[in-house]
Amino acid sequence: MNTKTKKTYYILVAFTIFMFSFSYMLVPLYDLFCDITGLNGKTNKVKAIVIEEPSERFIKIKFVSNVAQSAPVKFYPIEKEMTVQIGKIYNTKYLITNTSKTNMITTASPSVVPGEMSQYFRKIECFCFNHQEIKSNETKELGVQFMIDTEIPNDADSLILSYTMFDITEKNINKKVSLK
Amino acid sequence: MKIIIFVLLSTLMPAVVVADWETNMPRGVTPTSIAAYDLHMLIFYITVVIGILVFGVMLYSIIHHRKSKGYQAATFHESTKVEIIWTVIPFLILIGMAIPATKTLIMMEDTRNSEITLKVTGYQWMWKYEYLEDDIAFFSKIDKDSNKARRLNSSIDVNKVEHYLRNVDNPVVLPTNTKIRILLTASDVLHAWWVPELGGKKDAIPGYINEMWIDIKEPGIYRGQCAELCGKDHAFMPIVVKAVPKSEYHKWVSIQKDNRIATKEN
Amino acid sequence: MSANLEHAEHHQPSGIMRWITTTNHKDIGTLYLFFSLLMFFIGGLMALVIRAELFEPGLQLVVPGFFNQMTTMHALIMIFGAVMPAFVGLANWQVPLMIGAPDMALPRLNNWSFWILPFAFTMMISTLFFEGGGPAAGWTLYPPLSLQGGNSMPFVIFSIHLLGLSSILGAINIIATILNMRAPGMTLMKMPMFVWTWLITAFLLIAAMPVLAGAITMLLTDRFFGTSFFTASGGGDPVLFQHIFWFFGHPEVYILILPAFGIISTILPTFSRKPLFGYDSMVYATASIALLSFIVWAHHMFTVGMPLAGELFFMFATMLIAVPTGVKVFNWVATMWRGSMTFETPMLFSIAFIVLFTIGGLSGLMLAIVPADFQYHDTYFVVAHFHYVLVPGAIFAIIAAVYYWLPKWTGKMYDEFLGKIHFWLTTIFVNVTFFPMHFVGLAGMPRRIPDYAVQFTDFNAIASVGAFGFGFAQVLFLYILYKALKDDVTVGEKAWDGAQGLEWTLSSPPPYHSFETPPKVE
Ligand SMILES: [Cu+2]
Repeated sequence: MNTKTKKTYYILVAFTIFMFSFSYMLVPLYDLFCDITGLNGKTNKVKAIVIEEPSERFIKIKFVSNVAQSAPVKFYPIEKEMTVQIGKIYNTKYLITNTSKTNMITTASPSVVPGEMSQYFRKIECFCFNHQEIKSNETKELGVQFMIDTEIPNDADSLILSYTMFDITEKNINKKVSLK
Repeated sequence: MKIIIFVLLSTLMPAVVVADWETNMPRGVTPTSIAAYDLHMLIFYITVVIGILVFGVMLYSIIHHRKSKGYQAATFHESTKVEIIWTVIPFLILIGMAIPATKTLIMMEDTRNSEITLKVTGYQWMWKYEYLEDDIAFFSKIDKDSNKARRLNSSIDVNKVEHYLRNVDNPVVLPTNTKIRILLTASDVLHAWWVPELGGKKDAIPGYINEMWIDIKEPGIYRGQCAELCGKDHAFMPIVVKAVPKSEYHKWVSIQKDNRIATKEN
Repeated sequence: MSANLEHAEHHQPSGIMRWITTTNHKDIGTLYLFFSLLMFFIGGLMALVIRAELFEPGLQLVVPGFFNQMTTMHALIMIFGAVMPAFVGLANWQVPLMIGAPDMALPRLNNWSFWILPFAFTMMISTLFFEGGGPAAGWTLYPPLSLQGGNSMPFVIFSIHLLGLSSILGAINIIATILNMRAPGMTLMKMPMFVWTWLITAFLLIAAMPVLAGAITMLLTDRFFGTSFFTASGGGDPVLFQHIFWFFGHPEVYILILPAFGIISTILPTFSRKPLFGYDSMVYATASIALLSFIVWAHHMFTVGMPLAGELFFMFATMLIAVPTGVKVFNWVATMWRGSMTFETPMLFSIAFIVLFTIGGLSGLMLAIVPADFQYHDTYFVVAHFHYVLVPGAIFAIIAAVYYWLPKWTGKMYDEFLGKIHFWLTTIFVNVTFFPMHFVGLAGMPRRIPDYAVQFTDFNAIASVGAFGFGFAQVLFLYILYKALKDDVTVGEKAWDGAQGLEWTLSSPPPYHSFETPPKVE
């Protein structure tokens, strides 16, 4: 291997390693991208908000619930629909019941449509990604506190907030022992 | 060529009685499906013209510029002028395509002002439908006849099964002339809800919701199936939409509600 | 020259050890080509299982789970086992000969990058015999479905890692060779088109394959080490996988076609007896296709529900690729225009390439139009499209290259009459197989299904007949190769009277060590 070839070789190996790490960099980049564009209706972040004067506009919000993998839980919103004043803080609740005979750990992931509007759906308090420990046949209330940002475009139609409940007991088997 | 294929087929498949030679996309019965169809045909004709021009020049060259005819090769190997021309012209054609495509896409992605919301959840391997405003929910899976006939070596002639693989136990009933917002999600793996005559498909993704809209202009029964590989029975989760006039739809809704109350009371 | 040969034979182990330890670019090229041929037939048999099951509706031969393993494996084997190694084999043989180098720049690395392949594929194919079977989530390995699979998953992922490693090492070697070992006087803009396209392909490989490695590593850790890159319950997103996968996947598409462009750009001038039209614009077009390939990935996944702005961006970027691709096609036609053409087998395959690849390209343009793609996506229309660019695209180019350079490699000529029969059978059956897929796709048949509604029967039956015909035509190809090696129809230095380039200044077959003293290029 002459020096020129050696140099080419090392540069290319370095580039290969860079591209491998780049694939991992795509993960935070993607989250950032989702945050900006509302891709997939991701609304993971609970953001601090500036309280402003509520606007005169009203908007309809629908609440939706899903259960992943047909897990043995009942999970639904207390209110299916609310008409809210833009810029004002509201509270609502979801109910979850463990219908199985064993204790369970669950977590929920949120999603908003239209995706482009999710950035205006400000969640002040949210149970998303919290691990909920629910005993057999127990029912829990899960609260959401939210506000619709005054920046929301005038022509926005109704928003839909959806939570999907996952049974993650198996993944957290150690915690399950402590539960008992 | 065609005759050979035909002879081949008629010897190989005497079972096929009704030949179906559908070669194109259905125009469909919703504004979105019609817009997609029109765009499809427009781009198709443009590509056909491009194809005829390019292949025509090539064919002419193949026929005339051959050594066996004693044709002497020219020596030219570049021309900035023609190269610029055949860079710019395709670019202009593309702009011509992009404008109607953009307009259509904006129309398709606008789910505002819909009257009812249908939530569709994909399961391995069936669909769940929830009518958010009317609190109706049910599962819909492949019908019994198809399900029996589809087994490996079932010895049932699938040509005799009515709507083989395109029939369900509980069809979705939807009103015509109504903008319907469809929310899509999945319980386990990716699925995609697709009825060609109602327009495009969208993926159903576990943990997330997607949305699309349809507005069915003609009553009728429309069939489709899951369009994203979702495991071994991916081919066996059909979709049947029964589109009925609004008044009939409201009747159907009240019957569903009555049934639910009746089952609850029992 | 003869002294050279003897010298080589003294130090060269004989028999199987010659092939295992070889660092000679010609030997390794041969190994790659034979390996690729073997994989082409294995992958082809899987395709025939698929087509046999789809001959008529109802399940007659295999259960759906096995069918899904066949579609998954067919794709993985054809992409990573047949097409990519064939191109690397051609590069091994041709790049040093075409740039006047004695060998590849990194000969030992070259030996490794080949010998990784047989192990990787043995591991991958062996998963079919595992309890629970091989991978069945499609070659795209979309989670969450791919996370559901049986025990095969870590083995498949490990073998894809190995394949990626092999391609990256091969690519590094090719770049190092092209950049550092050109004969004096051969500037970059004097390089043969095949060398140019491979140089660009090699960069694509180094940029794309590590990203695939990252994506499948994340899958692996999601499944076994509790990460949640792609599971919503942990804040991940299954769609993220698709983005990372296609960030690799779209450049991969061009990895599978750019060397084919190079082959066609080499063969057409030979048999048109006229220089390649627009060499410079060919180079720039190839480079811009390669660059654009990094910003169009999401057109494989328009239906995941992107924001409107994203959909528009990826639609426009994808449409833009039609411009440089069009330039290539026009340049090829201009190369033929007013040439003095003859139609030997390599030329026939090249002409069929241009026509059928263009058809595939035009259906690609249709697929770029998002509103229409909502209908086309995941149907047989897509299957027809990518088979048109891969079979009469990539594979026709490889076959053309083998016919074209076989006399150079072996010093023996193939049977031209049989070659033409092979061409006509292949071309007719490729269309009988894949053209009807456009129709069933448009009419509403989704891809990756083992059984279908009865209205799709007729075109599926035709496609199946075509697939078997295509398969048998390739057995004829084997026979032609065998016959060429057995019969002793020798050729001189220049097997084709219109051929240009350094490789034709060498004897046929070229000496084991060629260009030990670099040739001069004026
Ligand atoms: Cu499905």
